[in-house]
Parts: sequence; structure tokens; C-alpha cells
Amino acid sequence: METWTDVARLIGAGLAIGLGALGPGIGIGVLGMGAMSALGRNPEARGAIMTNMILAIAFAEAVAIYALIVAILLIFVA
Amino acid sequence: MAKKVMLTLAVVFLVLTVVSFIGGSVGAMIRGGEPLSIFAVPPPHPQLPAEHPFPGLPITNTMIASWLSMLVIFGLFFIGTRRMKLVPRGLQNFVEFIYETVANFVEDAAGKEWGRRFLPLCFTIFLFVLANAWINLIPGFETVKMNGEPLLRNANTDINVPLMLAIVAFISIEYWGFKAKGTPYLETFFNFKPLGAGLKALFTGKIKAGFSGVFNGIIFAFVGMLETLSHLIRMVSFTFRLFGNMTAGMILVMIMLFLVPLVAPAAFYGLEAFFGFVQAMIFGGLTLGFACAAVMAGE
Repeated sequence: METWTDVARLIGAGLAIGLGALGPGIGIGVLGMGAMSALGRNPEARGAIMTNMILAIAFAEAVAIYALIVAILLIFVA
Repeated sequence: MAKKVMLTLAVVFLVLTVVSFIGGSVGAMIRGGEPLSIFAVPPPHPQLPAEHPFPGLPITNTMIASWLSMLVIFGLFFIGTRRMKLVPRGLQNFVEFIYETVANFVEDAAGKEWGRRFLPLCFTIFLFVLANAWINLIPGFETVKMNGEPLLRNANTDINVPLMLAIVAFISIEYWGFKAKGTPYLETFFNFKPLGAGLKALFTGKIKAGFSGVFNGIIFAFVGMLETLSHLIRMVSFTFRLFGNMTAGMILVMIMLFLVPLVAPAAFYGLEAFFGFVQAMIFGGLTLGFACAAVMAGE
């Protein structure tokens, strides 16, 4: 049914998003850990910690989004 | 009493989710047979380039949507500031609240003098991205069809819009850098002065000082090169962060609608509303941050 290029493309897309989500996942975990321990030490600074955590998480997540774009391009465009 | 209502609602939502999952396309695949007609959502076909709703005219649907969001922003602020009172009420209060929050944020980061110059660009980018993201969440927004193509579509999902914003931000940041520093700003990118000094020391006979000077000079030149590269990559990363987040959100909602037609997409809808705000904040905030860095570079 499908040619070998299609197979390679689909495997490539899966690997791209799978491996690309690995790093940001770890990064977001580390960020959450840092925010939680900061919150435990200094509960009054909840607002500032929350805002900065979300900002930093968005940065970490952007890397996963790049991988996602590659995967989408591989599936729908290439 | 309230507890009972909550419990009933939770059970109803759960039942709707499960029924729509089993009755939908994926459920049909599992149990075999056809999906129930009310839950039969066509499989998603995400299309990356913007569609042309008017054949022959170079107007894309994302352009129309971005005009609409501009109109919304303009209308909101125009009506809000039309009859200004000393003690704000209603819409004027709301508009002033938005403006003051952003203005305080910018002034905290950049100081009073530069804050006034950065505010228009950062605020505009923030509002434009936010309006584009949230206007897309109005139910039925993408279902209006014209000549078989959707008439409106989230402008952030067209790569040209984030790219345009990124280029504007990039040029403004470099302009502010020059304005603050003058020609020495170029030394951020092309710093050959230490290398020249090192070579001079080497040729005038101070071998030891010359070698360390040349070594340092090469490092400085390399750092300048890296700085140039990072300023250019910044533009690409600006573009793809916004474009990718918005496109991924669009595809995520589509796929959730396909998998579980009821209840579950609402959660992702809320997530989209939140991410629209976060991305707008990041685009505006990063422009501000890089502008501050350019103005204060080398101090």
C-alpha cells in the first residue's frame, strides 16, 4: 500500500514529536519542582512565583512546539 | 443541595463523555460498525497555508480575521475613551485598567524614560495577538463559509502574521539599540578592537602580551558573531513560538472533537483561551525584555 518514503516520513514524524517532547517534559518538571519548593519556603510570594513559573514553562514548551511543527510538516506537507 | 446539583452535573457530563466517545468515530472503530450520526465528526484536515475565500483576489481568510480583531481593539478603545471622565466608570474603567496594568509592567522593566517609548509597540503586539487568539474562540467563527472556504480563521495560525510581528519587533529593537548607544552599538556585533590591539602588541614586539591579546580578541570577535546570530535566531524563534502554539492548539481542539465529540473539547477550549493570553504576554514581554537588553547593552 504505502511506499517506503511514506513509512520513513511517518516514523520520522513520530520520532520528532516523541523525542522532542522528552526534553521539555523534563524541563517543565524541573520548573514545577523549583516553583513548588520556592512556594514552600516563601508562601507569600505566590503571585510572583506563579507568573514567572508560567512564563518559564511557556519557554520550555516552545521547544516541544518546534518539534510538533516538524512533525506536522512531515505528515501534512512533505 | 448544592452538592447534589454538582454531583448530578458531574454524572451527566461523565455519561455524555463516555457515550460520545463510544458513539463517535473512535468508538465505532473499537466496536465495529458506523458512528452514530449525531457524533459523526469528519476527521480533521488541518491546513497550514491560509485559504483564499475569494477566488482571484489576494485576500486570505486570516487577513480578514486580523482586520476584524484590529476593528475590535480599535472599537473597544475608541468607545472606552470617547467621553472621558475624571472618575472612570464602566468601559472606560476597564480600558484604563488594561492600559495601567501594562504601562506599570513596562515601566517596571524599562524605567520611566524608555518605558514610554517601548509601551506602544509592546502593548500593540500584546493586544493584537490576544485579540487574534480570543476572537477565534467565538463559537461559529471558523464555520462561516464563502465559496467553500472558511471566511475567517485565527490570524496567528498563518505564519505570515507572527513573522510580520517578529520582523517589526526585531527592527524596532535594533533601532532603539542604535538610538540609545549610537554607533558603539555596532560593537555588540562586530567587536574587532581587542583583536587589533592584540595584533599591534604582537607586532611591536611584546610577544607575551600580544599572544594573550590576540587570543582575547578572537574570543571577543567570536562573541560578537554569536550575538549577531542570536539576534537573527530570535526572530525565527519569535515566529515559530506563536505560530506553533496557535496551530497546535487549533489541531488539538480539532482532534479532540474528532475523538470525543462532547464535553472533553471544552477543557481544551479553556486551555486555548489560557494559552492565547500566555502567548500574547510572552510576545509582548519578550519584545520588551530584548529592547531593554539592547538599550542597556554593554553597561
